[in-house]
Amino acid sequence: MKTDNVKREREQRPAGRGIRQSMSGLHIWAGLLMGWILYAMFLTGTVSYFKDELSQWMRPELAHQAELPDPALVAQRVADELGAIAPGSPQWSMRLPDGRTNSVYAFWRTAGAEGGRRAFGEAAFDPATGGKVTARETLGGDFFYRFHFQFHYMPVLWGRWIAGAAAMFMLVAIVSGVITHKKIFIDFFTFRGGKGQRSWLDAHNALSVFGLPFHAMITYTGLVTLMALYMPWGERTAITTPAERQQLSAELNAFIQPGKPSGQAAPLASVADMVRQAQERWGQDAVGRVTATNSGDSTARVAVARGEAGRVSMSPQYMLFDGPTGRLLETREGVGAAAETRGVLYALHLGRFSDTVTRWLYFLVSLMGTAMVGTGLVMWTVKRRQKLADPEQPHIGFRIVERLNIASIAGLSVAMTAFLWGNRLLPAGLAERGAWEIHLFFAVWALTLAHAVLRPARTAWIEQLWAAAALLALLPVLNAVTTDRPLWHSVTEADWVFAGMDLMCLSLAALHAVLALRTARHRPKPRTVPAKGRGGVIGGALEEGRS
Amino acid sequence: MMHLLSFVLCLAAFAALALATERQQHDLFGRPLSPAATRLLRVAGTGVMLLALGVLLDWQGWGLGLVMFSGHTSLAAGVVFCAAIGLASARRRGKPAAISPASRRV
Repeated sequence: MKTDNVKREREQRPAGRGIRQSMSGLHIWAGLLMGWILYAMFLTGTVSYFKDELSQWMRPELAHQAELPDPALVAQRVADELGAIAPGSPQWSMRLPDGRTNSVYAFWRTAGAEGGRRAFGEAAFDPATGGKVTARETLGGDFFYRFHFQFHYMPVLWGRWIAGAAAMFMLVAIVSGVITHKKIFIDFFTFRGGKGQRSWLDAHNALSVFGLPFHAMITYTGLVTLMALYMPWGERTAITTPAERQQLSAELNAFIQPGKPSGQAAPLASVADMVRQAQERWGQDAVGRVTATNSGDSTARVAVARGEAGRVSMSPQYMLFDGPTGRLLETREGVGAAAETRGVLYALHLGRFSDTVTRWLYFLVSLMGTAMVGTGLVMWTVKRRQKLADPEQPHIGFRIVERLNIASIAGLSVAMTAFLWGNRLLPAGLAERGAWEIHLFFAVWALTLAHAVLRPARTAWIEQLWAAAALLALLPVLNAVTTDRPLWHSVTEADWVFAGMDLMCLSLAALHAVLALRTARHRPKPRTVPAKGRGGVIGGALEEGRS
Repeated sequence: MMHLLSFVLCLAAFAALALATERQQHDLFGRPLSPAATRLLRVAGTGVMLLALGVLLDWQGWGLGLVMFSGHTSLAAGVVFCAAIGLASARRRGKPAAISPASRRV
């Protein structure tokens, strides 16, 4: 009774219809056109919150690190090793190990590679010995991270422009979506189950509204991370001399730039002592990165930078030392207001300041965002399927959207899991092994598209969801067989990276199995109220999952 | 521990706010609550949520506190939403006669 009254009341309110309808159109088409790319960006970005853990899992040769090694000693060991493998390097930089990493990632510029071209080297080092780690060649979690904003098989800049365009579409979709959604507060907790399009809409609304602060933040800050690429004009006008460029760089990051080397050899003073000074200032585990320029030369400089944990800003804070003497030259702990704004927005996007609980919150709400994009895409077909003149022979546009949905949602789960299978199964000696893991990911993804095109849509959904569930469920088994770190072992060793990964795979397998079962069990209901003038669909109002 | 405290407060807050909506009252009690009770639920929900925010701000300051609050509220709203769906469907299953053909209509 009461709900009927409410319904009638709502129907009698035509106010604001015009703008809502045009915003709805904008929302639908902005969401659809970039939806498949956005879904992939959302999902790969979501798992990137655990990129360090993924990287650990993908290098099972590196032992679980029960205790954090002394950062000062580690920095000294790796600095010595870098001095040996990259002598005279104009710049090298290492990320010290923290609770989430068990190796030291470092990169360096190669000496004598001048003339516009900069040659880089990079490697992971063992904190205990300082030597390069001998693990299988893999990009690890960094593949998903890089794919998230620059894709693959294309120049990096193209990828970043596409990601930026997608983010702009997302921003448009968010704003127009909020305007379209008439009753955010009244319908905040509304879910009408078993009602086809209405249920999808309610689920889509809930996923969007609950995570709205996150979705808006992550899209906007995503654009901010690459704003210097998208809008370079201000910077180009204001910053013209090399000195100004150096100043700008110092506001944005702790990678100090090399000056002109003198050519006079001078060994680097104790890096461990410099790290200890930084520890005294910021705390035992608060040192994040050590960068050195012209090491081995009398003009050498070393910057010891503060880590990102616990501070919501990516703005650089570092202590600058004179290389040969180890004397403290300068301590930078603040940047200008504009740079700090960027630093905070950048940090919000990456979430690297998070403790474990906050990281999980980031992950879960980001997963809601992924599901928001996914439900939006599926809804496009659910809504239109009922209006098709002949549901057995949908028009070409409908079929394209339907098949792309299958491959980009269910297929991506299959491909991402296949990437992890490749990590365990590709032979260690394979040339370009890391690249082949990635080729495998794309090959499997392409196969899911082919499968989606060749099979009836409903069957394709069910088969791909089951394939993802099976691959995910069997990944812990594969891990137990191919490594000496099975689940029971990691639990007793309190190795939560490996145990967490196995348990996560099992939960995601369950999620995919539930989706597969629900799709399989779904029987399109005939319409209870025959719609006039739609002879073709009477008794056959078909819903999602039925081809 | 502070995470747990704040999250539980957010859960309670959203539960109260959900019960203050007409649809949930209809689904869970079969009748609307009195306007006074609804207003009380709304005020209590808002107050408890502000309390959760206060707990986090006091613990972590503005930067991290607001980030964590955003995460806690998003997740708590999701949990309350799923719980409401579960309760409503359990109630419907318990009373099959309550489903009239009219209420199933799209």
